[in-house]
Amino acid sequence: MSDRFFRIVRILIESFPKLLVQCLKITVPLTLLSFFFGLILALILALVQVAEIKGLKQFARFYVWIFRGTPLMLQLFIIFYGLPSFGIYFKGFPAAVIAFSLNLAAYNSEIIRSAIQAVPIGQTEAGYMIGLNYFQVMTRIVLPQAARIAFPPLFSSLIGMTKDTSLASSITVIEMMSVAKRIAAVYYEPFWMYMETGFIYLMICTVLTRLQSDFERKLEWKQPVEVKEAMDRVEADNLAHKFRWKG
Amino acid sequence: MLGVKNLHKSFGSNQVLKGIDFNVDEGEVIAIIGSSGSGKTTLLRCMAFLEQADDGIYTFDDLSKDIRTISRKEIKELRMKMGFVFQSFNLFRNKTALQNVMEGLIVARKMDREQARQISMAMLEKVGMTDRANYYPDQLSGGQQQRVAIARALAASPEVILFDEPTSALDPELTGEVLDVMVKLAEEGTTMVIVTHEMEFARNVADRVIFMENGVVVEEGPAQEILSNPKEEATRRFLRRILRNEEE
Repeated sequence: MSDRFFRIVRILIESFPKLLVQCLKITVPLTLLSFFFGLILALILALVQVAEIKGLKQFARFYVWIFRGTPLMLQLFIIFYGLPSFGIYFKGFPAAVIAFSLNLAAYNSEIIRSAIQAVPIGQTEAGYMIGLNYFQVMTRIVLPQAARIAFPPLFSSLIGMTKDTSLASSITVIEMMSVAKRIAAVYYEPFWMYMETGFIYLMICTVLTRLQSDFERKLEWKQPVEVKEAMDRVEADNLAHKFRWKG
Repeated sequence: MLGVKNLHKSFGSNQVLKGIDFNVDEGEVIAIIGSSGSGKTTLLRCMAFLEQADDGIYTFDDLSKDIRTISRKEIKELRMKMGFVFQSFNLFRNKTALQNVMEGLIVARKMDREQARQISMAMLEKVGMTDRANYYPDQLSGGQQQRVAIARALAASPEVILFDEPTSALDPELTGEVLDVMVKLAEEGTTMVIVTHEMEFARNVADRVIFMENGVVVEEGPAQEILSNPKEEATRRFLRRILRNEEE
């Protein structure tokens, strides 16, 4: 019994750096690249809908319908296995980035669109009444406020993406999950191997959650404490000054 | 100075404005009263192009035009000459009180920052909000937010300021501070059009009162006359109801 225990501990310790390296080399870059491109595309898809640009709006609705309505793995397979029949070849990693970006764009565009629409119309009207044009109202008033509303759900989607990258193992990308499978097969300790892998995913998501609450605090439109303190000081000075004059 | 003639506006099949004639002269303070649904807010919003009227002649200084033919560019220019104070304040939530007042000067009027800051601080001073200049709207009470909103409307020295029920969203104990600011503006000769339910305020401040019901102007005239000796039965009925509500 104790032999088995030490064997498992040894396997876990030996495999940990291998998993971590693959995580940092593939899983994290795959997540960040996909999320970055997905976010840019999502913003465009959301803006053409909000601005009601004819044609593009309908295209955006169609796009969201397709990419939300089909499984992510199917989208991966079409890009990696399907497109070659039209002479379009991608290696595993770029194929995964493309599929994940396109899929994320659909979900994130809905988050961004609803966030923009959640900014009260009065903000836009007030912007027009002080003489701003549509572009200025969007960039200076509406989008900054929408960003704050969209932030938590966008971060959820980033956390979700981190774990969905494991699907890339199905199109020959050697990411963390593929390595875990391989080691599990060699030593025949699947339970402990996958527990360990799960632990690493959990660690990444813990870091992300922590980042999220830090960012959220920064996004709040509250006076920084320093400003408040400084102003209280000024007020106190003014008061003291007044009394000195009178006194 | 600012006026409309035969203004019509419908929302779907619901006709809200049925041929309104309205005019405000320079330096005049006009109070528009009437029960909710009478079209008074819609009238104000049409004059600021926040609603698109269906028909009517629009006049502003030398410009006099069919309201449907006014271009987007002209609307922008006209808006630059007016201020608008909303019932729900609508301060930009992502900007401090000072930034709210400066925004139109810097972005729409391309004024340099320092000059805009000085003007804006002077406006905040006028409404008694300099000590909260660096606060965000969420940190201010409703009355304070509305005073900043008035400063924002004043910043570009508009020819006329339109007020859409500026105290209706406020707790009763906070209406006073906003009304005080408006009294001060009236005394300085600011041209104002005020949609309001504050009869006492209308009596004391307005030069002229306009009573609206069901999308038409029922009666208009000097404040004292309309509020104390209305000629129309509809006006009397409305004033009796308001008075009764205030007593309760």
